[in-house]
Amino acid sequence: MFTLLQIAARNLARNRKRTLLLGGAIAIVTVLLVLLTALFNGTQASMLRNATTLSTGHVNVAGFYKITSGTAAPVVTNYKKLREIVEKETPGLQSVVVRGRGFGKLVSDVSSQMAVVSGIDIEQEANFKNILEIVHGDVTKLSEPHAILIFEQTAERLELKIGDNVTLSSQTFRGAANSIDCKVVAIAKPLGMFSSFFSYVPMTTLRELYGFDPATAGGIQLYLKDWEQAEAVAARLRVELVKSGYRVMDHTEKPYWQKFDIVKREDWTGQKIDVTTWMDEDPFMRWTLVGFRAIIVIVFMVLLAIIIIGVMNTLWMAIRERTREVGALRAIGMQRHTVLAMFVTEGALLALISSTAGAILGVLAAYGLNAAHLKMIKGFQMVLMSETVTLLVNVPTVLLSLVVIAGVTTLGSILPAWRAARLQPVEAMHSSN
Amino acid sequence: MATTPSSQPIVHLSNVDKDYKLGAVTVTALRQVSLEIAPGEFTVIAGPSGSGKTTLLNLIGCVDVATRGQVIVAGQDTGKLAEGDLTRLRLNALGFIFQSFNLVGVLDAFQNVEFPLLLQKKMNAAQRKERVMDLLNRVGIAEYAHHRPGELSGGQRQRVAIARALVTLPRIVLADEPTANLDSVTGNQILDLMQELNREGTTFLFSTHDPKVVSRAGRVVRLVDGRIVAEETAEQYQTRQA
Ligand SMILES: Nc1ncnc2c1ncn2[C@@H]1O[C@H](COP(=O)(O)OP(=O)(O)O)[C@@H](O)[C@H]1O
Ligand SMILES: [Mg+2]
Repeated sequence: MFTLLQIAARNLARNRKRTLLLGGAIAIVTVLLVLLTALFNGTQASMLRNATTLSTGHVNVAGFYKITSGTAAPVVTNYKKLREIVEKETPGLQSVVVRGRGFGKLVSDVSSQMAVVSGIDIEQEANFKNILEIVHGDVTKLSEPHAILIFEQTAERLELKIGDNVTLSSQTFRGAANSIDCKVVAIAKPLGMFSSFFSYVPMTTLRELYGFDPATAGGIQLYLKDWEQAEAVAARLRVELVKSGYRVMDHTEKPYWQKFDIVKREDWTGQKIDVTTWMDEDPFMRWTLVGFRAIIVIVFMVLLAIIIIGVMNTLWMAIRERTREVGALRAIGMQRHTVLAMFVTEGALLALISSTAGAILGVLAAYGLNAAHLKMIKGFQMVLMSETVTLLVNVPTVLLSLVVIAGVTTLGSILPAWRAARLQPVEAMHSSN
Repeated sequence: MATTPSSQPIVHLSNVDKDYKLGAVTVTALRQVSLEIAPGEFTVIAGPSGSGKTTLLNLIGCVDVATRGQVIVAGQDTGKLAEGDLTRLRLNALGFIFQSFNLVGVLDAFQNVEFPLLLQKKMNAAQRKERVMDLLNRVGIAEYAHHRPGELSGGQRQRVAIARALVTLPRIVLADEPTANLDSVTGNQILDLMQELNREGTTFLFSTHDPKVVSRAGRVVRLVDGRIVAEETAEQYQTRQA
């Protein structure tokens, strides 16, 4: 009924101070939520971009080859055939990159460290060159045999400069020890927590280290048009690969370099395929995002609770002030549910207007912050893999925030409104003024 | 013609008691009250403060139910009705005028008077407008149709309240001390208006503890300590007072 809306609007307007206070609080919470989710989306996007460049596709088809049951080589044989099947069975595929996988020791004159060693075909990698920030050297030199790219932390720890040699040692896939001397051709700026133990060598060098033939590769990295489909695509590929006669490993939420020991202990030999997603291959990013999301949820819950209390309190006051009026309306024939509707309308109207205002302000603030190119504090730069604060405003997320805040606030008005609906009409007859 | 529906009593109370329970104590506000109100009456319930006037009007107004006895309003036994049905009965058969007016503060005079019609959902906007303006004219405040209660004097507000009570053409209008919050001149004007509306056909039942107001009534029901002690005409009442 239009009149109920009018009554609600006018009562809100009449108690201007109270309305502004609560409406302002609702708007501020909406702004905060919009900014937090935009920060989350921005962080997720930049983390995803970095991680998918460094170490993973949206979906990875890789695996282990065990020549005896006590060994584990991170390799797939005859990868070209596998790639054909995978390309055919992946809906929404955008691009494919083949990488080599390894794990070994980097030894310099002064020190040593364990490192993930990725084999890379630099000529086929557009994103890799664009995203890495090279501090010293030249990333295109990774096409030369026995070249290696390391990150600044590794360079510092092992005291390496461009042109220095570093020994890369590992076990061949037959189990013998092997080592290769590599020349540092590029040193890159750190990109997230894991870059301190990441290194890149040409595919050919990695094959040489492990004693693989050219038909082998570490894994096929798939990039999808819609990265959110990664889990679904991975699940589908697991099924399809089994149908094509491959043995497929059970899904484990771990990066491949944490799976060596597990696979070594397993009692099988030959090839098994492992299909993983970016979340599996970058556990740090996964937990950062999970933690970030948890913080948002907790902050949001607390703020929502405050708002609900505010709405309830404000409506209690409104109802106490208008007890006589409500009693009179009940007496002249307003049904209980209409009284309920009258007060819920008031709560809902306030919630909707303030959260809409908040959402608009939040979006504007997000664009403003982006335009200001704010630098992140150092600690966060590492964690969030980005130097500047990047907010990604996502319309469905903003609308969802708005609807949730407006909805929950409206829910908060139901209890007081219900109490108002229970008011007896005799209240209006009380003669006292 | 003797048995046309309009000559049936609108209100019929027989042997009504009303108890209020305050913890362990029971206050009996009405005892063995029997009363009939016929169409066209202009009846006052007179009695000192605490004698049970409000309680009696509440029972007749279907906002409260009797503890014992029967209350029949517009042909319905109120003791047998559910809350929703009582509310509907109030909306369609009764009109209320309150001592402290009780208008909706944020609606203007026109909207306040229109409100019961909106609750009824029987008329379209044009019909409602005609009815509301007719009533505002009859109570003499058509020119204030778009003023809110806060911008009106007490007498004007009570006129709006009277228009609101009459807008659904109720069988009876109940008014609990309608002039108690008004000065005597304004109170008299309100009583004049009620009398005039009564002559035009509206049945009124109102209460007062003011002897001057009692003298305006067509019929006086005297209440003392929750009992009806006398039924008389205003003339009889006045003679006795003198
Ligand atoms: N809600 C109530 N609870 C308890 N006692 C009540 C209540 N309403 C009225 N009473 C008592 O009932 C008696 C009649 O009250 P009331 O009908 O208000 O009288 P009047 O309107 O004539 O002043 C008084 O003794 C009063 O204290
Ligand atoms: Mg009273």
